[in-house]
Amino acid sequence: MGGCFSDMEGGKQAVGGLGKGANAQNDAVDFFFRSQGFHQMFTQVELSLSASSLLDRDIASKSDPMVVVFAKKRDGKCEELGRTEVIMNSLNPEWIEKISVAFHFEIVQPLEFHVYDIDTKYHGIPTKTLKLGDQDFLGMASCTLSEIVTKRSRRLTLRLLEKSGNGGPRNLGEITVHAEETVASRSVVEMVLRCSRLDNKDVFSKSDPFLRISRMVESGGYIPICKTEVINDNLNPKWRPVCLGGHKFGSKENPLLIECFDFNSSGDHVLIGKMQKSVADLEKLYKERRGANFVISSTSHGKEKVLKGELFVDQYCEKEQFSFIDYVSNGFELNFMVAVDFTASNGNPLHSDSLHYIDAHGRLNSYQKAIMEVGEVIQFYDSDRRFPAWGFGGKIPDGTVSHCFNLNGSPGTSEVAGVEGIMDAYGSALRSVSLSGPTLFGPVINMAAQIAGQSLTSHNHTMYYVLLIITDGVVTDLQETINALVKKSDLPLSILIVGVGNADFKSMEVLDADNGHRLESSSGRIATRDIVQFVSMREVHSGQISVVQALLEELPEQFLSFMRSRDVKPLSQPSHFSQASTSSIQ
Amino acid sequence: MSRTVEVTVLSAENLQMNRKPARGNTFVTVHSDASTDAGAVTKVDSEGGSYPSWNEKVVVNVPLHARFISVEVKCKTSSSSSLTGSNSVGVARIPVSDFIGGYVPENQLHFLSYRLWDGNVRRNGVINISVRVKVPERSSCSSSSMSFAAVTGVPVAGNGSTGVVTGIPALWLNYQRNP
Repeated sequence: MGGCFSDMEGGKQAVGGLGKGANAQNDAVDFFFRSQGFHQMFTQVELSLSASSLLDRDIASKSDPMVVVFAKKRDGKCEELGRTEVIMNSLNPEWIEKISVAFHFEIVQPLEFHVYDIDTKYHGIPTKTLKLGDQDFLGMASCTLSEIVTKRSRRLTLRLLEKSGNGGPRNLGEITVHAEETVASRSVVEMVLRCSRLDNKDVFSKSDPFLRISRMVESGGYIPICKTEVINDNLNPKWRPVCLGGHKFGSKENPLLIECFDFNSSGDHVLIGKMQKSVADLEKLYKERRGANFVISSTSHGKEKVLKGELFVDQYCEKEQFSFIDYVSNGFELNFMVAVDFTASNGNPLHSDSLHYIDAHGRLNSYQKAIMEVGEVIQFYDSDRRFPAWGFGGKIPDGTVSHCFNLNGSPGTSEVAGVEGIMDAYGSALRSVSLSGPTLFGPVINMAAQIAGQSLTSHNHTMYYVLLIITDGVVTDLQETINALVKKSDLPLSILIVGVGNADFKSMEVLDADNGHRLESSSGRIATRDIVQFVSMREVHSGQISVVQALLEELPEQFLSFMRSRDVKPLSQPSHFSQASTSSIQ
Repeated sequence: MSRTVEVTVLSAENLQMNRKPARGNTFVTVHSDASTDAGAVTKVDSEGGSYPSWNEKVVVNVPLHARFISVEVKCKTSSSSSLTGSNSVGVARIPVSDFIGGYVPENQLHFLSYRLWDGNVRRNGVINISVRVKVPERSSCSSSSMSFAAVTGVPVAGNGSTGVVTGIPALWLNYQRNP
């Protein structure tokens, strides 16, 4: 659902205040690990990043920096932990997007921070999809997580170095990392902010204002937590609703610094005015329908000058926002369904180079690996562990090619018991079904959608379905698959496509609407939300991402977007708003 | 014979006027292709610009033989104060089959988005709506219309039954929750 800002210039969009799923994905990964016995061995830590005196790589303007944080594994490989947003035209950026890391007390966790200058042509594209090789490298720094956490200020400044590891003669600038323990909180405050009579900072037109909200931290100083979009040429701007999660602002009494800037494409945003207000103060402004004046530090006296520009809170509402864990630990279930590719491109199952080859010594083939690894994670959220399992693109015993047949060979139910059941059914299907083609996803998607649609009547929104499609190649019916997906985007269903083998999966990524474009059917209907995620087993096995991470990355968000749009709440509500800042997992 | 359909006009995205972002004063009309009445009109959004939001529920009568409902975004022209002076920004024709029929219970709330087309059949933004088909109800037991609590339908008997229940308006869940 990232399409809203796709046409805006990168630097003008809002960051951090769009009410996107809090820290749900970390929650889900965290929960999984804890359930596997990793109790109390780590806490979640959030890293805030800023830099100073960065190298200027752009000719006409300044660098547009972004940081990528890596964890260095014991074997020397780097695993990406996250990326900040891109800040335009700044050599002293303060990034708003935080990076979450699990802090293990007993392990040395080396981290690397790579700073890149993102070329203008990539602006507005989700940072996650950027290829780092295409970007200019501005410098890197490394430290261990414990070095930051053990500092009294929880803050560490590092010199940026060349990739080779030495400083060289050039000064590449510095990066500052601030670490804070993540506060689990369900409370969310949504506000509509408006200003009136702002000072005009532009010569030929009016100011282009935006707001930046920062939180004061215990050790002093401020960390930016969100900024609004830029409103062009307007001294009485009203911004789109700002959504602040309790995990961002801390307590309602915690002072926030609210700054209003005039946007300049050169990156030198001019401060129009600032004020210090807590969330409780903002609520009061809303209730009393009163404005608060901005102030600006006066250069001559060192005193603050009160400006005529005012901030108003037009709407204020506190909500309780439930996390993925709140739902799944209160009676909501994920139901796992699986569909396996029986097209001929997999190669004859009797030959050892086939993706379907069953090794006599029990070594798993790519399909078995995918079923095992994905099933292990998903079945954790599925209490009855009965999974519908289908095959597609194979010639079934009656001689016809089927694009959705029961893997267990039964004419009736497609359900099998547990991951072992899928493995058995898969093995027996390989013996009775011959590989054929073409690769059509439509029929299995429709079958899954039918089950998901019927559950709305029978299970009253407490069921959510995950269809795993394992395939070795590119779909033949791309447009029809898109049409089917768009039509199903309003159902409690997510589709996870796992690519095995060495095919080029580029066109599959079209289905995964990560590039910010929503899927559009040939009739002009547009997907309500993103329900597809594509993962290539190649990447998972090369160790760039962990299976759990890859799977749980988008699923909780997709689940929550369905539940929240319908205002479905967990069955027994875990806690009240006022106590919401306690830890969510006991 | 006609059905009553509640359409909540939520928002639109990336609207253009003369190839520039629309500057506001947009409103939406909703009517079905087969009905004779004028359909329904939302209020004017003056703040959203090319990303307007209305969040307004309108009710339209959709004859049983209707195949489409048309949702049209219009822009109020500056010269006139009445709604009659307006230009069309874009229109989407929504097949009735997108929210009636299929395997979803009859009065399920649907969230739908469509591409808008302008007068020259060029793509012009996206409209987001939600739709609920009103199932005839006898008494006052229908509570709020938007909330989840109003979801009706009785559980299908037995596991794996594929019998489709066509929206029996027994508020069974409500009774269960508030005995």
